[in-house]
Amino acid sequence: MQSFNYLAPHSQNELCQVLCNTAGKIIAGGTDMLPQMRNLKQTPSTLIDISHISDLRYIQESEDEVLIGALTTWSDILESPLIQKTAPALAQAASLVGAPMTRNRGTIGGNLGNASPAADSLPPLLTLDAIVHLNSQSGQRQVPLRNFLTGPGTTDLKADEYIQQVSYKKVALPFGNVFNKLGPRQGMTISIASVAVLLALDANGKITLARIALGAVAPTAVRCPDAEAFLLGKEPSTELWQEAAHQVRKAIAPIDDVRGTQEYRHHIAGILTRRALQTAYLSLQE
Amino acid sequence: MQRIQVSLKVNGKKYRLETPPNRTLLEVLREDLGLTGAKDGCSSGECGACTVLLDGRAVNSCLVLIGSADGHSIETVEGLQKAGMPHPLQKAFVEKGAVQCGFCTPGMLMAAKALLDQNPKPDEEQIRTALAGNLCRCTGYTKIIDAVQEAAKELRYE
Amino acid sequence: MSENTLIGKPEIRVDAWSKVTGQAEYIADFPLEDVHFGYVLRSPHPHASIRRIDIAKALQIEGVLDVITIEDVPGEKIVGDIIPDRPVLAQEKVRLVGEPVAIVVATSKYVAEQGGKAVKVDYQPLIPVFDPVQALEEGAPLVHASGNLVSHIEVQDGDPKAGFQEADLILEETFYVPHIYPGYLEPEAAQAQWNPDGSLIVWVSSQKPFHDRHLICQVLGLPEEKVIVRVATVGGAFGGKEDSSLAILAALAAWKTKTTVRLVNTREESLLAHPKRHSGQLHYKAGFKKDGTLVTMQVTSYLDTGAYASYGPAVGQLHSEVVTGPYKVPNVRVDTYVVYTNSPIAGAMRGFGAPQANFAAESLMDIAAGKLGIHPVDLRRKNIWRPGDRSYTRVRINQAESLQLSLEIAEKEYRRLKEIPASPGKVSGVGLSLSVQTMGLGFRVPDDSAHALEWLPDGRVRLYLGAPELGQGLMTVAAQITADALGLSLDKIEIALLDTSQVPDGGVSCASRMTYSVGNATIMASRQLIQGLIEEAAKLLDVEPAALYYEKGHVVRKDRPDLAPIPVSEITSRLAENGQILKRQAVFSFPYGPETPDHLPIGMPHVLFCFGAHVIRVEVDPELGTIEPKEIVAIHDVGKIINRSTLEGQVEGAISMGLGYALMEEMKLKPDGKWVDNLTEYLLPTIMDMPPIIKTVFLEVPEESGPHGAKGIGEMGLTPVASAVANAVYDAIGVRVKAIPIRPEAIIKSK
Repeated sequence: MQSFNYLAPHSQNELCQVLCNTAGKIIAGGTDMLPQMRNLKQTPSTLIDISHISDLRYIQESEDEVLIGALTTWSDILESPLIQKTAPALAQAASLVGAPMTRNRGTIGGNLGNASPAADSLPPLLTLDAIVHLNSQSGQRQVPLRNFLTGPGTTDLKADEYIQQVSYKKVALPFGNVFNKLGPRQGMTISIASVAVLLALDANGKITLARIALGAVAPTAVRCPDAEAFLLGKEPSTELWQEAAHQVRKAIAPIDDVRGTQEYRHHIAGILTRRALQTAYLSLQE
Repeated sequence: MQRIQVSLKVNGKKYRLETPPNRTLLEVLREDLGLTGAKDGCSSGECGACTVLLDGRAVNSCLVLIGSADGHSIETVEGLQKAGMPHPLQKAFVEKGAVQCGFCTPGMLMAAKALLDQNPKPDEEQIRTALAGNLCRCTGYTKIIDAVQEAAKELRYE
Repeated sequence: MSENTLIGKPEIRVDAWSKVTGQAEYIADFPLEDVHFGYVLRSPHPHASIRRIDIAKALQIEGVLDVITIEDVPGEKIVGDIIPDRPVLAQEKVRLVGEPVAIVVATSKYVAEQGGKAVKVDYQPLIPVFDPVQALEEGAPLVHASGNLVSHIEVQDGDPKAGFQEADLILEETFYVPHIYPGYLEPEAAQAQWNPDGSLIVWVSSQKPFHDRHLICQVLGLPEEKVIVRVATVGGAFGGKEDSSLAILAALAAWKTKTTVRLVNTREESLLAHPKRHSGQLHYKAGFKKDGTLVTMQVTSYLDTGAYASYGPAVGQLHSEVVTGPYKVPNVRVDTYVVYTNSPIAGAMRGFGAPQANFAAESLMDIAAGKLGIHPVDLRRKNIWRPGDRSYTRVRINQAESLQLSLEIAEKEYRRLKEIPASPGKVSGVGLSLSVQTMGLGFRVPDDSAHALEWLPDGRVRLYLGAPELGQGLMTVAAQITADALGLSLDKIEIALLDTSQVPDGGVSCASRMTYSVGNATIMASRQLIQGLIEEAAKLLDVEPAALYYEKGHVVRKDRPDLAPIPVSEITSRLAENGQILKRQAVFSFPYGPETPDHLPIGMPHVLFCFGAHVIRVEVDPELGTIEPKEIVAIHDVGKIINRSTLEGQVEGAISMGLGYALMEEMKLKPDGKWVDNLTEYLLPTIMDMPPIIKTVFLEVPEESGPHGAKGIGEMGLTPVASAVANAVYDAIGVRVKAIPIRPEAIIKSK
């Protein structure tokens, strides 16, 4: 490994000071950062290891919100009854991140900071209208996730800031929240495309809430506002899902890579969306 | 060059060591502590050959920065035997033919131990999920699944 | 003579305990004291000339001992496994990404890497060529000055033209197969120690220590007695560790620096720089009669051997031998072109040319069956080799009856699997394929295997196994056969370290030849050892040898039945007191007997075949195009089961590798011009990619020349997988894929 100056603050205060005084790169679980340092995509001269800041690892709820500390691991998330209840798609996505070893180390804050277009946590968080809480010496800032993600691997995080937590408003029960992903193999796989949907119906069975987000099909994970607007007020049906899937295909801009072609991504984005909507709908019938 | 102090508990034994910070837990285990059971198969968290337990959880030790392991408790394949007695997983891997070239074996055993420590009665799907990050090119995994099931039985005294 | 007590038993592997405790030592696990580390500086270009290599800056770094380039090679600078075409370190130009250019030797791996970065190489990039057909075209970039054609294997039997006139159905298809990474979990490694007397000890993770020694001696200009090669625990090989490159580089570095040097490849280096299975384009033209009789076949294959030939010419030859599949074809024309490109080197890998042929031939059989309106099973039944038949290379087919038996069992399994309903939303399909794999190295290639046994003073027997255990279970099977032949329990056999100065040359661990050759040799050695024991015991007891016989670790006196049998240890310990060693060595030579015709149409035909059939049920998601293998039945003719557990392990592992070949693996040149070089992009099957059910069925039709009738199984389990998957996909959704890996995109596009 290349050499670097190593700092390991043990509290958020310490971290704020470090970030204020030093231009450094933050490392949390290391599951993304270390491979990137290995292939020289990251060459930090100072590495700020935040893994010892114990009060950044939590899943909490207030009356109307759920708060997830930046150092919360995927295993924490997928095992959390609170997340399973309030954000089942996020729990599902967490269970499909890499393999157990990655899930035991990889953190939600790291995933947000790394901002891979294919990150599995992002579509579910987007359907929850998640807010990213940033902190620095000069104060706190809350940024909606969809604004936080600015491009492949880039975010709105400032040099002196760190991700403190991510929060989302609880959605009134009942709702359906489903994550669906397809990778080039079954185990330990990176998405060719992924989708999360959130769906709620009124007493008459009309759609009152529809949120759709996709991963790995655009420079960032994206919401599909047109498809969502189209669904509102309508009655669920196979044809409706089909039409929503069609809208979704128009909203994305996939590329070719080693995992899949642009054309194939276009094709499956719609199918995964349609299926996720149907699964979410069925979960509401239970 | 900067050096950092790190305290580790490895297989129940306490270590205090000084090291440059740009090293992984895997490197320290293998090079400083002479525990070469965990293998370096890819240095990138893609193969699972370096799997050890950190505070009871399976991790890729090639992706744990040594400073990050400071103060934590580590278990490696060398710690599986207790008082000279093999762990039921070791016994089952031997008896069920789950070992071929052996390079994935220590990591596979540790990932399986993490599973059985949490879930004494895993079904086949849970075994597959738990071992999804441990590549094996020799066995086709069939006998590994058998062995984990067998070890689980023994651990439950069935 | 054999008591047959141990044969067929699922004995526990002799190396299993050391592996589950982490004690087994792979080269990277060796102690670090007094070891220097080498960093191999490798080419970033697929094709470039080298103007200048500047090592001055690297040499100034504290801790750097030396930087070695081709200029430092004292002996042969260019070597090769079959054709000497590969510079030990790049000379004037580089021909592939990852080609070694220089070695930096330093006190730590970190310093060595720093040194590597400080070496400046001035490259002049040249236009590369990656396609074997394009590489043969006029004006293509020349990978080697001698031209891009490595070898053209041309074989004809009968009259193919007349055959086509006779045919009612003529099919023409082109199939594409990818470059495949062996993917052993242990990356290549070597450690060489220079001794003050000028000798070297080189530790390798290798399939062929004696050939490694030969090449090291060539490169260093040393006599063979000056170089000892020792084999450490090998973490998988699959043909890929028939490459000596890293062992040669380690030896060169140790020799030049007069120290001990360790080289361990990173996964990236392993992916880029070490040999793969050949990718290729296979053009098939076949003629059938209305009743399904296969009358003629014309096959033209272009195999991409990459930048250096490695075992390419031999792979091309074996490929040519099996292109027809296990079928009787009276008229055959085969042209196999083995071609240089700037792709990663392709050489030996599990199957050695057969998996490529099988994918094409067995896909073609199903295509033909569809066109002829004949069931795929019946079409095969019509054409398979029968006892007494000869292959088109005029070699008598051994155990042809097992082929028919395989097909019958496969048919039953096929019908059973066809009845299983698909999961909701999926479509189920069942595919079948037959396969033929050869055993041994081939006619006229020296194919001897020597091993020795020593009866120790304590009554135990030391087996000097002359070929490496790679993980496949060779040590266990060899110990089992030896123990059985000597009437001893398995724990009485110990296996000596494979050290080329201490053990005889057992040949290369490859070509599905080990159980067969090693088994035969150890049985021979056991007989000689017993004979030697009787002779020595007779002298000690002052009786005629005829008065004694051997039984289960004891010498029994026929003349004095009243006396208790004498434990062997009493005799061997007395021999030891006299400074005598009781040791016998036997060589088994692959039989090329009177059955081998004189005038063969091909240079080195293999004379023993293994057969099998796979039946696979898959489920296809018709919308996503994804394919999920659900059940695989693997039927294999093994002659005789020696160890059921290791045998099943070989087949199950081969199936997973075959599924990777069928569905996900490919050394791919990415749009950015870089090869995939990590295990996130080069995908190996995980435990979740394996079907819920794998069933192995073993046929025991004895091969009379085999130990207890046994034949090889190392490669056979892989060969038919991809074609069976492709046939199952067709059965499910009517899409015929002619390229592997079968990507879901291809399914969707073809629908």
